[in-house]
Amino acid sequence: MEPFLEFIRENLGSPGLAILISNPQFAFIQLLNSISMGMNYFIIAAGLSLIFGVLKVINFAHGAFYMFGAYITYSVTELMGLSFFWAVLAAAIGLMLMALIIERCLFQFIYDKEHLMQLLLTFALVLILGDLAKIIWGTDQYSVAYPAGLAGATNLGITFYPSYRLMLCVLGPAIFIALWLFIERTRWGRITKAATQDRDMLSALGINVPVIYTIVFLIGSALAGMGGALASPFNSPAPGMDANIIVECFVIVIIGGLGSLWGTFVGALIFGLVFNFGSVIVPNAQDVFAFLLLLIVLLIRPWGLYGRAESEGQ
Amino acid sequence: MRHRLLVSLVIAGTLLAINNLHAEEIKIGMLYPITGGGAIYGSPAQIGHRMGVEEINLDGGLLGLQAISVERDTKLNPATAAAAAKEMITKDGVHVLIGGLSSSVGLAVSEVARQEKVIYIATIAKTIQMTTNKRHNYVFRTASHTDFEGDAMAQIAEKLNAKSICDIQLDYAYGHDLAAGIEKGLARHLPDTKIVLSLRPKLRATDYNVFITQIMGAGCDVVTGGLWGPHFVDFAKQATPFGLFQQIKFIAGGEIGSHEIASTMGRDYPDNVWANSYELWYHHPNEEHKKFHSKLSAQLGTHETTMWPVLAVIGVRMYAAAVKQAGSLDPDLVAEALRGMSIDTPVGPRTIDPTTHQTDTGQFWGPMVKKEGAPYRVMDPITYIPALLSE
Repeated sequence: MEPFLEFIRENLGSPGLAILISNPQFAFIQLLNSISMGMNYFIIAAGLSLIFGVLKVINFAHGAFYMFGAYITYSVTELMGLSFFWAVLAAAIGLMLMALIIERCLFQFIYDKEHLMQLLLTFALVLILGDLAKIIWGTDQYSVAYPAGLAGATNLGITFYPSYRLMLCVLGPAIFIALWLFIERTRWGRITKAATQDRDMLSALGINVPVIYTIVFLIGSALAGMGGALASPFNSPAPGMDANIIVECFVIVIIGGLGSLWGTFVGALIFGLVFNFGSVIVPNAQDVFAFLLLLIVLLIRPWGLYGRAESEGQ
Repeated sequence: MRHRLLVSLVIAGTLLAINNLHAEEIKIGMLYPITGGGAIYGSPAQIGHRMGVEEINLDGGLLGLQAISVERDTKLNPATAAAAAKEMITKDGVHVLIGGLSSSVGLAVSEVARQEKVIYIATIAKTIQMTTNKRHNYVFRTASHTDFEGDAMAQIAEKLNAKSICDIQLDYAYGHDLAAGIEKGLARHLPDTKIVLSLRPKLRATDYNVFITQIMGAGCDVVTGGLWGPHFVDFAKQATPFGLFQQIKFIAGGEIGSHEIASTMGRDYPDNVWANSYELWYHHPNEEHKKFHSKLSAQLGTHETTMWPVLAVIGVRMYAAAVKQAGSLDPDLVAEALRGMSIDTPVGPRTIDPTTHQTDTGQFWGPMVKKEGAPYRVMDPITYIPALLSE
């Protein structure tokens, strides 16, 4: 075994791969890294996908909503002294209020406009919200403490793993199940699902479609805010943090299929796995595998793993 | 007809007068990111730049002319910075370009300065390329560079008796050049020590778990890293629950010992970190630093002050000294004066090497410790590691 590992280390230039093969504990940690990373992205990307699925708007400002969620968490925990979980709630509610203003004042006027117009508007929002955050919180970076009881590591028997990241591994699927139950098992959810397929028919049936749109935009934005809040203990709130996340979110929803909850969940998990194991195998080309996967999906199944082709939808 | 001609003459005369008025000012071009992610550093540097320009005017100006600051936002983007630099030269008529945060921005601005034959003083960008293979007649650097920083890190690794090292650097010019600088430094100070793992997370990475766990699995006793600003904050916060800082000593370049990082992290700043800074508000290497700190403190309204303004002040001061010596604004004469130019600064004397155009800028290094009465971790003991005498 050792000569083989030495060959990998020396000739393939991948000490990480050698550790991965020889150490199951290390492989298990990478699996947990993949899940926790994927679940953090899922919470953020789910909102992006939901908004596109119903409103058909590609919201570039979603990353800015995420950033506001992180900043609100900083203000609530560090400045007001409230607990982290109140801060997560405050971030979600704060983003819903902000989304309500944005949807009523801007978005409702562009639903029927072409995608280019929508992209330009959401891009303008990115710049405006970036400067607004700078006015409110300045240009400093901040640190949010891990919530009490989750700052250390948990003994899993074969290894220790950061407790907060384990919480994300559980919270992500919980949010997925809650969203799935809402969409599949409630009347409002079924109406929302119908809105993704035929908004005219829904309107003809007497459903107030604009209200559905507003509610969906609020839920999607709250998820972004919550994602920012949950990321803030390990991603310090700082100007520009929106730009760091939005590309990954788009990759996930494109792989999974824009507008598909299942697609976003699976896409986020795949992204986490590909990024983490790819980074171990080829340490200096960590993004290559995820973007290669994106390329393959776009070539073979452009509507994503769980998305529906235009013709299927009609 | 005659009336129209008169009006045209009046307009032309007014425009000429305005133009002459502008020619009677020295325009000091400033290029820092003042919006977006880089604003954390660019905004304080902007304050320093303005302090430098104010200093010139309080001193009676340069060559009898008042100095004005012409400012552009680089958004930490090389293309934006290059376009801004070009515009400042061609439209605003700046006499000098000063600034440039991040190595890629510095290289982009330097290229414009070369094409347009305008002096560029790099105050923050550290890539060694700027003063080696990409050096030209008009580029000068007052910041440190990656070989100086890498050598200092190797000296600390020697002090810590490092046997095997894991190196983690951001995947862009600064990170790659610093890694090379560390290797050169290790060859000088610790030739038997091996770098067993080299990792390159991308610039603006958000999740470091995969790198942290690789470091912990590689069996190194020291980590060298150039994860500046929020990169280090996020790395440290993610690495702490894994117990990385309890097991492995971390030598952190990228000014992780500065006020902005130590105050941001507060109680979350990890143990066993050796870090650097260009300036520390609580350490006065000379009398001028005390005055500089009180002035900056008054301006910012806080006793604890950030490190970036002093870098910008040094850049402006170096240019002013060169113009005075040259007795002209001609870029070639000013460049000639800059070669070998020496000035006093709040962090000690600085001299530009006449051959490389690199200033002998060393940095303060030391372990970051908790200290009674200090608002956050501070460097103690503080050691000034001077720049290498020969490159």
